[in-house]
Amino acid sequence: MLVGVRHLNIVVLAVAIAASVGCSREHISRRLDFNQDVQPILASRCFSCHGPDPEMRKAGLRLDLAEWAMKKREGHPDAIVAGHPEKSELVKRIQSKDPKYLMPQAEHGEAKPMRADEIAILKEWIKQGAVYRPHWAFEVPARPAVPHHSASNGEGENPIDNFIFARLQREGLQPSAEADKPALIRRVTLDLTGLLPTPEEVQAFVSNSSPNAYEKLVDRLLAKPTFGEQRARYWLDYARYADTYGLHFDNSRDIWPYRDYVIQSFNNNKPFDQFAMEQIAGDLMPMKTLDPLIGSGYVRLGVSSNEGGTISEELRVNIARERTEAFGATFMGITVGCAVCHDHKFDPTTQRDFYSLSAFFNNLDEKPFNDDRPVWAPVVRVPKADKAEAYNRVLVRRSELQQRLDTMRLDARNLVTQWLAAKTDPARAVSGDKLIIRLRLDEGTGEELKNSAPNANPATFKTTTMKPEWGETTWLWPDFRMQSSTRVPLGQAGDYEASHAFSAGGWFMFRAAPFHPGSFGTLISKMGSTQHDRGWELAADDNGILSVALVNQAPKEGKPEKKPKKEDEKKDPRKKPTEAKEAFNYPTPQDLSKKDLAPNKPPEQLKAEKEEEKKAKAKEKEEAKKKKPAPVEKPGENIPEVAIRVAAVKPLSLDNAWKHIFFTYDGSGNASGVKIYVDGVQVATHVVKDNLGKATIRTDAPMQLGWRNPDEHPAKDARYQDVRLYARTLAIDEVRRLPFEDYVAEITTQPPAQWTADQRHVINEFYLNNVDPTWRRIKREIAALDAQLDQLSAGGDLTLVSWEKPTVPYAHVLTRGVYTARTERVGADTPHFLPPLPANELRNRLALAKWTVSPDNPLTARVTVNRMWYELFGCGLVETTEDFGIMGQRPSHPQLLDWLAVEFRDNGWNIKHMYKLMVMSATYRQSSKAGSQLAKDPRNVLLSRGPRFRMDAEMVRDIGLQSSGLLVGKIGGPSVKPYQPPSIWEQVSYPTSDTVHYAQEHGDALHRRSLYTYVKRMAPLPNMDAFDAPTRDVVCTRRQRTDTPLQALVTMNDVQWVEAARGVAERVIRETGPDPEQRINRMGMILLARVPPPQMAVVLEKSFDEMQKHYAANPKDAHSLVNLGEKRRDTSIREPELAAWTMIASEMLNLDETINK
Amino acid sequence: MKQHPLCSDCEDKITPIDLPIPAGLKKEWSACESRRQFLGRAGKVLGWASLATLFGEASLRHSVFASASDENDLKLPHFAPKAKRAIYLFMSGAPPQVDLFDYKPNLAAQFNADMPASVRGNQQLTGMTAGQARFPVAPAHWPFRQHGKTGTWISDLLPYTARMVDDLTFIKSLNTDAINHEPAIMLINTGNMNAGKPCLGAWLAYGLGSMNDNLPTFVVLQTKTNPKENNQPVSSRLWSSGFLSSEFAGVGLRSVGDPVLYLQDPAGVDRETRRKMLDAVEEINRQTLAEVGDPETNSRIAQYEMAFRMQSSVPELTDLSKEPQSTWDLYGPDAKQPGTFAYNCLLARRMAERGVRFTQIYKRGWDVHDNVVGNLPILCQETDQGCYALVTDLKRRGLLDDTLVIWAGEFGRTVYSQGGLSQENYGRDHHPRCFTAWMAGAGVRPAVAFGETDDYSYNVVKDPVHVRDFNATILHCLGIDHNRFTYEFQGLHQKLTSPVPAFVVQGILA
Repeated sequence: MLVGVRHLNIVVLAVAIAASVGCSREHISRRLDFNQDVQPILASRCFSCHGPDPEMRKAGLRLDLAEWAMKKREGHPDAIVAGHPEKSELVKRIQSKDPKYLMPQAEHGEAKPMRADEIAILKEWIKQGAVYRPHWAFEVPARPAVPHHSASNGEGENPIDNFIFARLQREGLQPSAEADKPALIRRVTLDLTGLLPTPEEVQAFVSNSSPNAYEKLVDRLLAKPTFGEQRARYWLDYARYADTYGLHFDNSRDIWPYRDYVIQSFNNNKPFDQFAMEQIAGDLMPMKTLDPLIGSGYVRLGVSSNEGGTISEELRVNIARERTEAFGATFMGITVGCAVCHDHKFDPTTQRDFYSLSAFFNNLDEKPFNDDRPVWAPVVRVPKADKAEAYNRVLVRRSELQQRLDTMRLDARNLVTQWLAAKTDPARAVSGDKLIIRLRLDEGTGEELKNSAPNANPATFKTTTMKPEWGETTWLWPDFRMQSSTRVPLGQAGDYEASHAFSAGGWFMFRAAPFHPGSFGTLISKMGSTQHDRGWELAADDNGILSVALVNQAPKEGKPEKKPKKEDEKKDPRKKPTEAKEAFNYPTPQDLSKKDLAPNKPPEQLKAEKEEEKKAKAKEKEEAKKKKPAPVEKPGENIPEVAIRVAAVKPLSLDNAWKHIFFTYDGSGNASGVKIYVDGVQVATHVVKDNLGKATIRTDAPMQLGWRNPDEHPAKDARYQDVRLYARTLAIDEVRRLPFEDYVAEITTQPPAQWTADQRHVINEFYLNNVDPTWRRIKREIAALDAQLDQLSAGGDLTLVSWEKPTVPYAHVLTRGVYTARTERVGADTPHFLPPLPANELRNRLALAKWTVSPDNPLTARVTVNRMWYELFGCGLVETTEDFGIMGQRPSHPQLLDWLAVEFRDNGWNIKHMYKLMVMSATYRQSSKAGSQLAKDPRNVLLSRGPRFRMDAEMVRDIGLQSSGLLVGKIGGPSVKPYQPPSIWEQVSYPTSDTVHYAQEHGDALHRRSLYTYVKRMAPLPNMDAFDAPTRDVVCTRRQRTDTPLQALVTMNDVQWVEAARGVAERVIRETGPDPEQRINRMGMILLARVPPPQMAVVLEKSFDEMQKHYAANPKDAHSLVNLGEKRRDTSIREPELAAWTMIASEMLNLDETINK
Repeated sequence: MKQHPLCSDCEDKITPIDLPIPAGLKKEWSACESRRQFLGRAGKVLGWASLATLFGEASLRHSVFASASDENDLKLPHFAPKAKRAIYLFMSGAPPQVDLFDYKPNLAAQFNADMPASVRGNQQLTGMTAGQARFPVAPAHWPFRQHGKTGTWISDLLPYTARMVDDLTFIKSLNTDAINHEPAIMLINTGNMNAGKPCLGAWLAYGLGSMNDNLPTFVVLQTKTNPKENNQPVSSRLWSSGFLSSEFAGVGLRSVGDPVLYLQDPAGVDRETRRKMLDAVEEINRQTLAEVGDPETNSRIAQYEMAFRMQSSVPELTDLSKEPQSTWDLYGPDAKQPGTFAYNCLLARRMAERGVRFTQIYKRGWDVHDNVVGNLPILCQETDQGCYALVTDLKRRGLLDDTLVIWAGEFGRTVYSQGGLSQENYGRDHHPRCFTAWMAGAGVRPAVAFGETDDYSYNVVKDPVHVRDFNATILHCLGIDHNRFTYEFQGLHQKLTSPVPAFVVQGILA
């Protein structure tokens, strides 16, 4: 009964709140607000079965939209009858006493019945007409009128206070008085710089009685370089910045220039719209400096992997997914990830929305695997400071040219139309003469492959053993991938004598997995391994060297040109062959050395461990010798080789790109009659064997893709398109036209209206790259500039960036998020319930970036100002800073949030302006002492007092360093490794990871601000972890704020803290006279910005007496204590005295007041 | 290790009566307090948890981070638990079931025969064997023998495990969704392949709370790695609390340096000095509490006290000097070496005695892609006796009656050989479709072998147990209905076994 009464009160309260929110119209003002009052109940109680996700929907009832909720359903009573709760089935159900009839129900376990207050609100809402409103956060904010409150005097008011105080007044609360000046300067300095005010700054502020003293102070703080560091610290959480790539080896990766970019952006007060756009799509923006490109590293901050067994398609899908979820969290403040597997259960985000959004992040010019390197393409080399100016001059020119190319690409449709209309330089097809097999491999499904050659015989082929995978990626058309055991037997086509001319090849893409035997292999073959390899074959070896063989006979295992492989190299997938030079598709740098590209080596191991390992290895070798597995297959028979073997000089790269590979043979019986082409261009070859002559190469083994008959030398998981066999030698010019022009000629026989999007893209790209003279001229000029950029950036640091491929972004909707379960193919697009993208732009990340900060976007400004509020006040106006969706918390002050969002957006996204506005408010300046308001506003949601909460991990450590005088003020640079207890990394890491051993640094590195501390994702620094620093695996827009004994252990015992305490002690001894009272006062000024009040001082003085006595009597203890840490102590101070003061400093560093803001 | 609201002991000196709050509320507090006493839930008064009672939980309903808002009302345990605590022996890297437990006598005759394609079906292989031209059958190198009253077949590699087969519950039909370590180890530990979800231990710490004020609720022990083995990494996200408050994350108990990080007072600070220092800190913090009235200050005072107590209780826990000779006879000489598996098992028993809720021991190195014959005996030798000793020790102390012991890896290994196969050696690749785990103790029926695989130990043919079911079953043994044990985050009722339905394995319950 008592419970019932209490809940009833809440209903009354809720109605009262709703009433007071309304403005002048009395009768409406008592109405419930759908967003505020009703939707949260429906969402948490009903939507999982009666929400947007059609898969889970029960009884065809959907309660999130009015037209559905009030729709007639066959065989069901009306769920909601507006104005009539008594006729509404919904009301009957939620009130029912019959457990089978009662709602809500849950599929598993029991659902909790609705509470009395929830039922009352729903009834009242239906009675009032069941009015639905769109979700508040998806409507563009408009600037609300600033309310009045009793203390309003109009002039010079901060609108924040009007909103806050008007609300307090309605709740019958008074704002707190302004905090005293020491508390105020401590609070605002910590908030704006992450550091304490110095005693001198405190004194100056306290004694400055001018009315604008506080504003002057705020301006000074906003101008400090430490402002950027403090803001960056938060942003790095929002952006998931870390120094390792997070999975498996968890090696280091170089992306710290991004961190410095963030700091500088805040310090330069870069408008937020620009800041956001650079991170989403800096690579596509005009550039005056490298800033936008470095900023685009944001996209690539997420975790990545090189685990040996990983399936590349799965990894590719996961990476795009991670980036999409991160974008949703950082910029949109909604949990789009829920729609990976199904339509969102609560928000209108559909699965299609999710994958359309993911398409934007699916088009980077990179391969999914990182090769365990600190850098993997795309990267940029940041010029050194002295070369920056010269570099930027070239960059500006390059950027202008790039813009022209982009404009042309946007205009490609027109250019192509003009080209076709002019008929001056039409695409010429390659003659179909003697074309025996043409496998376009564009069937898209099934196991039957069509032979598109003229008069094809046979007309179809069938894959066997395992079904192929269709359409994972798109090139000319959605592709064809052979699974590990797929076979494509092509019968007796290509069964020629050595005197017969023929040519074969097609488009290929090799698996981009970490190296293992079988990455390369046979591409096209008519060769029988059971017949001494008789026949012919186009193949690539494990190093990516292309070769063509025409064989009469060969030893079974015989490839005499190849060195025998070491046994363990074959077995161990992690051992890679010598790295082929990486082919880069991004512009610069092209001069990456082997050293740049090499994975980092694990740092020096401990000696003993190394020895042990050596011994173990030696023993293992011995054992292996004893137990060496006998090869299963018999060694090759000793027969002489009769063959033509021609091999390319340079290897292909494993770079996840399509290559057109083709060879021609003239029937001469000589090696000189073989030519190999890559992308239509003949490549340099050398002759490995040339004694075939007129010997036969005919075999009854079938022609095959990907295998040598019957099961040798596979190129597993390779992708294929447009594979051809001609019974003639193709001329050089014909091979040049094969990759694109031949196909373009075919497409252009059709009217443009019938072209598919893929065909349109092929023609555009062909036209631009092969026909348009301007395009080619600009490309040449850009190449020259890139060479200059390489030179000018020599010796600079590398950092990961984004780089867009020229292809059209797309993704597949995946059933339940399973990477193999592709359904509909979707282009890049923004969620359907938010404003659309402009029609006349390329659908790439740049369009997404512009959309994100467009005035029509309802989310970005709100989400961003809300996080600013969270940083300063400890809790956002929307508490769930990560979720502005339907299940997120409703804003505590919706109109203030909108006012701030509009203010931000309409004032040029001025970041410093917003922080200033907030810290200048009387709301912010209130005293944090909890008085009588505690009961009505226990969590300070109404802001009836000033903010007070435990500082974040980095701030806690930084003020320790700062107060002790140890802090090194240097901004930026590579991350550093300060003190860490032993064996943190060793315990979790892979033995050959480059982060298996923590190599602690010395000197300045020990005392840098905490945002420069190296972040290893798999093993976070424990003294940061204890204070809830996130691991940066995923975006964190709101930290937990726990209070645990482990924190106490850190601040009492961590050598960093003992050293800091000693530093504080030395400092007060140095800076004051011998009087303990003075020293205690000084410590108070340093740490608390105030002289300790008498009762506190008494405790400290008494404690000092005890400590002094103790250490005087135990000089050895004193010696031990004051010599901890690498920083040398001040030897002019007697050890017992220093020890005693160190303990007092430690006491003060551990005070609740110290570690609270 | 914030005091759990359900915990029944440890009263703090300060109550909200001392807070600067209106007299009316103080009166109400007294009423609440007597009700709490009556209900046997006289929890320590901590920060907001106390105010939740004071002001009614509705006012705090919007706190996502508060440990139990009414949306997440725990009401735990859901039913009388058989197990009060659990010890999880995690075999990271995936032990080969076909060499240890899943006896397939028919395979010997098929040495080096191609595994039928029909058995393999359409399964995606890892990048490591996808390129193999053949998939030759590699039978177990070591003989199996029957043991115990049940006549359970166990490999000769596990002589100690063989002795206790009648105490064990085998699940031979465990299976998972992931084929590589990183996602699979996340899936079995946290119910999700991607980072960000709480692990089993964190859920238990959150749901069941502490039984010992002076020790962490959830402890993680790492076994020292053996460089001969292929040590797949483990990461701190395996024992993280995900979206739950980080106080529920696993606390590492270490064999190198301080057993708990930063536990030891710095050189030159003895216990008495530390006490005096803390007394001063507490006195001033109480002044702050009176002056500012922030309930969190109260919590901080309590946590400093607990830190002080931990500084004594943890060294006592790891001080093995008073263990009798019988302990060393049981656990073997390895147990005297900090960081060995046997040592960790002994610590796990000592923690069970002291009421640690959940202990997880990681043993890495089971990733035997090649050289199964060389590495597997070493791995078994390192772990076999410790497992036996732990179960036996718990049993003879009566602790097995309310302790659940779990032994599992993240997936199984293929019956076909990865790389070269000979009579002397072979390798095994990752295999998610079936693997074997065992449990012992409270909640499960001993001497049971649940589930069956086909003749190749490749597919489950009877009673499949997904890792989600496995986790649901563990929760069940601890008195928790996995479907009702939820936490609201990002708008969802998150649970350990989300999102696909999971089922308690009734067939193994006691």
